[in-house]
Amino acid sequence: MKSLSLYNRTSTLGGIYFLFLVNRMQMHYFILIMPVYLVHSYMVWAIVVMGLLSQLNLMMMSKWFTSSYAAKGYQGFLQLFGKRAVQIFAILGFLIILLKISIVTLGYVEMLHSFIFPSMDKKWLILMILLISLFVASHGMENTLRFVVIAFLCGAWIVVLFIPFFFQADASYRDLYPLIPTEWSGQSWQGLWFIWSAFSGPVYLAFMVPWLSSNKKISKYLVIGNMLSIMEYILLFVASVLFYGSHYLRKIDFPIGYMGSYIQTSGLERIDYILISFHMFNYVFDISILLLCFYGAGRIFMRKMKERSTRIGLLSSWFVILISIILMDQWLWQTVPGQKMLLNLQIWIGACIYLLIPTILFTAVKRKESM
Amino acid sequence: MVEKYDPQMKNHQMSAWLDELKQKLNHMDDAEIVEHRMGTSASVYLVYIKTLIDPERLNETIIQPLDRSAGDSLSSCITNAKVSDVISIDDAEQKIMQGFVLLNDSVNDQWLGVQLENPLGRAVEPSQTETVIYGAKDSFSEQIDKNITMLRRRLPISTLKTESFTIGSLSKTKVVLLYIDGLINPEFVSLARKKINSVDFDQFLDSSQLAAFIEDHNHTVFPQFLQTDRPDACAYALGEGKLTLLVSNSPFALIAPITFFHLIQSPEDYFLRWPVASFLRLIRYGSFVVSLTMIPFYVALTTFHYQMVPLPLLYVLLESRSKLPFTPFAEGFFMIITLEIIKEASLRMPTKTSQTLGVIGGIVIGQAAVEAGFASKVLIVLMGISAIAFFLVPNYQVTKSMVLLQILLLILASFLGLPGIVIGLIGILAHLHALTSLGQPYLAPIAPFYGKDWNDLFIRGPLIWMKTRPKYLKPLRKWRQEMKK
Repeated sequence: MKSLSLYNRTSTLGGIYFLFLVNRMQMHYFILIMPVYLVHSYMVWAIVVMGLLSQLNLMMMSKWFTSSYAAKGYQGFLQLFGKRAVQIFAILGFLIILLKISIVTLGYVEMLHSFIFPSMDKKWLILMILLISLFVASHGMENTLRFVVIAFLCGAWIVVLFIPFFFQADASYRDLYPLIPTEWSGQSWQGLWFIWSAFSGPVYLAFMVPWLSSNKKISKYLVIGNMLSIMEYILLFVASVLFYGSHYLRKIDFPIGYMGSYIQTSGLERIDYILISFHMFNYVFDISILLLCFYGAGRIFMRKMKERSTRIGLLSSWFVILISIILMDQWLWQTVPGQKMLLNLQIWIGACIYLLIPTILFTAVKRKESM
Repeated sequence: MVEKYDPQMKNHQMSAWLDELKQKLNHMDDAEIVEHRMGTSASVYLVYIKTLIDPERLNETIIQPLDRSAGDSLSSCITNAKVSDVISIDDAEQKIMQGFVLLNDSVNDQWLGVQLENPLGRAVEPSQTETVIYGAKDSFSEQIDKNITMLRRRLPISTLKTESFTIGSLSKTKVVLLYIDGLINPEFVSLARKKINSVDFDQFLDSSQLAAFIEDHNHTVFPQFLQTDRPDACAYALGEGKLTLLVSNSPFALIAPITFFHLIQSPEDYFLRWPVASFLRLIRYGSFVVSLTMIPFYVALTTFHYQMVPLPLLYVLLESRSKLPFTPFAEGFFMIITLEIIKEASLRMPTKTSQTLGVIGGIVIGQAAVEAGFASKVLIVLMGISAIAFFLVPNYQVTKSMVLLQILLLILASFLGLPGIVIGLIGILAHLHALTSLGQPYLAPIAPFYGKDWNDLFIRGPLIWMKTRPKYLKPLRKWRQEMKK
């Protein structure tokens, strides 16, 4: 079996990479559908509050990044939790990552299908996105993590194009009222969970510490990256409230996407085609990283950590993901209740792991250090 | 293993070498073995290849001094050329093939070699491949020593080191590795040495062939060594902490490690005022993107995304395409290949016929293709813009590579429209990102990210701001200023 150096490292990534990684991992499918879940203008505070809580969480994670256990990678986890527990975590992680990749891919493909290729079979789009993600991931964890700079440069500018929505003639600032909630429903709680889950992307960094620098200054970059995400979420949410108004917002599937279709120049119309296409940089980066984590988790629970990573192994993981996405699309995603169920599942799981993983790691390190 | 001269070797076998040399030079009409009578009536054998040596210098340096000799030793007779010992028959053969004249010193029973290589070669001429308005006009030639002189004049420092290697079992090509000691990261030098020593091939006729053997990645369209015939570009690279390889009989030096961005930059960027240089550099980057994506974008628009075209423009586009029997992909592919044929022909044809080619290519094919219904007028205009944009990229190797990438994007655009182009771009960027040049990342200073090196990336910052050498090269001397050494 031909080996593939997927998890080798020649140097560690630090400083500004944390900024890019945190920011891009928080910018996936959920940002595109976020206004549908938040709806009311006062939910802008939800973004702020959840964003600040996310800062606390990241500060807690930065303690984990600087711990000696984190730098040891798999061995560090073994020292903290023992072999049995690590295997159970790996199985859980395997399933959670599979669900996340599937939903992120299905959500983005749904958007491509609705906006650009309504008559194309979605399987082709799924296949192409997964193929390019496999290509990126095949260059190894270190290169894929570095790819975040390209993903950032090619994707971060998109949000700037939504600034003109603040200054349009029909943008009524009255739509932003009330800023203080007059009622608090179950939907509002769901909005909070949704935002918390949307910010949960960087939790996967906890398992990539061997490739990241354990410098004490990283917390600054984690905070800036998260702040940037908060600003992007607020900008897009406020722009969508100004553009649609709260009443109409809940009736649209992809509010951000439809707003993009109103951006036009004298030379080109339907700029949303370009924006949606370029948003793929984020997805491919996210899926590639998760694919490598998925394969890594698979190696742990199959007890193959002592063997080198192989092409067959990576390809098998990729096939599992491909089949899972196609089946999920066939059985669940195409029906409204199924889609809602999957989204709710992802919201809950994302929110829970973002709450639990940093806490567990922080506590485990503290406990071990005090022993 | 290098043979060392042993005085004990001055034995009687030396005279037997003459017979062996005769044997080796058999059936070589230009080889000469001449017995020359010296002034003292003693005789000396001269062995050389007349097409490799300079006959005038032979007369001045060897014949005349020997005639005037009064029984002195051979080495003391020859005063205006370096005389070296011949240590073995293989050494003798090698020296003859390098333009030496071998002399048999019968008094001391030893063979001597005098280098009288014919300095045949062209004069120093302006660069044909990297022309500049301002800046030095000289360029490298096929003579490696002359090329080293040009670099030494620009960097008159003793820390500019040169190391020689011989590669090619048939061509015996000389390769010289140049670097500034104490400045360059020593890892680059040892890696280059290791790679050159491991080269095993028979012939090297150009530096690009050497590059193919020592580059990190063979299966890519992107060059990992910058080929240049400009000594100023080489001197600048050496001063930054890079190394240069000169190859005999090739006017192109190899510079490494390089990044992808070096291929888009021009030496003239450093001779113009910084706002102008930055503007031109940005135009070049823009042209690179335009030349790569314009035709695929046209195919994407006309195949999948008509909605993106504003109505007045849509009328023009539809009218232009209404009588075409081909798909946009076939139309675009046909025109790209046609343009490449014209470009290739213009390079291979004699200069005097290039005007005819211009007429045939520009008017006959361009106009006729539209009238015959092979291509739309809009595509012809876009092809023109794209072709001119190609020429703005200074590196010829990259220009050629870009055509392949353009076709790749064209195929993806014909299947998946704009998302297809983006998938292609992701693939290209991921591929670039994984490449290395002499072990250094090809997309530096973007990925890995070196913020301080951005002052010479998309814009060419003022020279007074460029106080440090590029960080990604990890030079031993960080500062360019003497005071901060």
